[in-house]
Amino acid sequence: MNLSIPGIIIVAAVALLGIGFYGLLAVRNLIKVIVALQILVKGMMLGFVLAGRLAGNVTLGQSLAIIVIVVDTIVAVVGLALAVQIRQRIGSLDIKTLTSLQR
Amino acid sequence: MNANTALIWLIALPLAAAPLIYLVGRLSLRASNNRRSPVVAWLGVLTLIACGYPLYFAGQAVLAGAPVELAVNAIHLRMDGIGLLLAVVVLLLGAMVMLFSTAYMAGDRGEEKYYALLTAMIGSMIGLGCAADLFNLWVWFEAMAITSYMLVAFYTTHPASLEAGFKYLVQSATGSVFVLLGIVLVFSQTGALDLLEIRNAAHSPDPVLLLAGAAFLIGFGVKSALVPMHTWLPDAHSQAPSGISAMLSGVVIEAGLVALLRALGSLSSVASAWGGLLLSFGAVNMIVGNLMALRQTQVKRLLAYSSLSHMGYMLVGLGAAMAFKVANGAAGGFFHLFTHALMKGLAFLSAGALLYTLHIARGDHDPLTLDDLNGASKRYPLTAFALSIAVLALGGLPPLAGFMSKWQIFVAGAQTQNLWIILLVIFAALNSVLSLGYYAPLVNRMYRKTPSATVENGKPTPKIMAVPIILLTLGVVIFGFAPAWINWLTAPAAASLLAVFGG
Repeated sequence: MNLSIPGIIIVAAVALLGIGFYGLLAVRNLIKVIVALQILVKGMMLGFVLAGRLAGNVTLGQSLAIIVIVVDTIVAVVGLALAVQIRQRIGSLDIKTLTSLQR
Repeated sequence: MNANTALIWLIALPLAAAPLIYLVGRLSLRASNNRRSPVVAWLGVLTLIACGYPLYFAGQAVLAGAPVELAVNAIHLRMDGIGLLLAVVVLLLGAMVMLFSTAYMAGDRGEEKYYALLTAMIGSMIGLGCAADLFNLWVWFEAMAITSYMLVAFYTTHPASLEAGFKYLVQSATGSVFVLLGIVLVFSQTGALDLLEIRNAAHSPDPVLLLAGAAFLIGFGVKSALVPMHTWLPDAHSQAPSGISAMLSGVVIEAGLVALLRALGSLSSVASAWGGLLLSFGAVNMIVGNLMALRQTQVKRLLAYSSLSHMGYMLVGLGAAMAFKVANGAAGGFFHLFTHALMKGLAFLSAGALLYTLHIARGDHDPLTLDDLNGASKRYPLTAFALSIAVLALGGLPPLAGFMSKWQIFVAGAQTQNLWIILLVIFAALNSVLSLGYYAPLVNRMYRKTPSATVENGKPTPKIMAVPIILLTLGVVIFGFAPAWINWLTAPAAASLLAVFGG
């Protein structure tokens, strides 16, 4: 079996997306939800590097991936800060305890 | 001032002012002995008023016919009619919200962060309207989203607002992954990121580009609350501070819509189905928003659900323009975007004024329920009158602004001469009647019921809150009587949309 390099990257990116979506749907811990979001975005970073290669503009693709890292880190920081606040105010990180808005 | 310099100032001013406001706020908090710093709020107001000056010059150039182009290294900005419309609406409503918040947020913990974040959000929305590059569009979009996460979860001591903030963050971040997926697919297929270059490169109905369009629809659809992706909206709108609810409903979801139009516009020649898709989302949004609003007992949740149905009206107008090239549809959709910002801004601000006087000023953080409104007109005649004007305009009563924009959309639908679109317009009109089913009882409660105990015990309204409320009420009435006065703004926006969708 001989996979080309783009082939391997596509498989890896799709696998990361799949793991991320599965995590978002299945996981109940707030911090793990943030981790699942991170895995999703990691898949997309790989996608940018690959897209740069396919479009014949490797440097642009990689620089976009770096910007995605920056933005994504900020989102993770805000998300984790919210998770910490929720742990302090509600006393649990379980998603099932966040029910005050269900109606 | 030269138009390019004006555009730089317009975007840089709020973004540079945001950290400055935070610093000044920290320093003045440290110096003051009662933990208050009124200076931050006025710095925010001042920044937005100062933005009016570059906006005037940039706007003049755009209205003269040529989009203002600007390239700062690899960042490519282009302000056309749509960007100008968004900038005007954002600055207008932003200034009103800032003024309102000077009283509403006074003395809250973290006040300086509130104004810094709000200013940064306004700056990033102006940038979003001007982004000419797909990736750049995403960066502005995320900047707007991140500031709004923090503003929604601003009351960090309340479990409900933390919950709403987290829900909003997870849904919105997942949406942004879809946007990234779309960008990756477009970039790998066309090798271009500039919206015009993509449009020139993407012609054939390539399945990869179709997938990219679908990803954009899902990703930006989360932010603009298209119906299956809307569940964050009522929670976020009802738990955020009232000024932020007005911003979210009045401009943030519309900014998502503008981003969606930009992204789909670059793929306009790949498929002709985009307009039809928006029309069907519009139909679903209207009916779901109205039916959900009917059974709400909290005023802010009710207004949040009605945002869904108003997003539906905009989608009908814009979708008709994209699918059938009727200029009236685009102009009507953008006119509704403008009037919705005024009406929903007014509704949330006056509901916020009532929430403040009835609950927050008395130290409790209960939501404002419909029962609290009973007899509010006896003690708060101005606020009650403004809220009545706002909801009646949202319901589409004739002399008010909401009627005029809906009417223009309905006329555009009839102009398509397509049976399905005419049926859709009738459906939209019936929805408008249905929406009176929850707006009219609000007015009835305020004017005809005997005052509830909550109203009797309410505190007086701070004077400064009345200023934005009166100004927005005047706006809603004036643009109802003279809808043509806003043509200078909506016609160029409609022209830019049709230029992209081949009108």
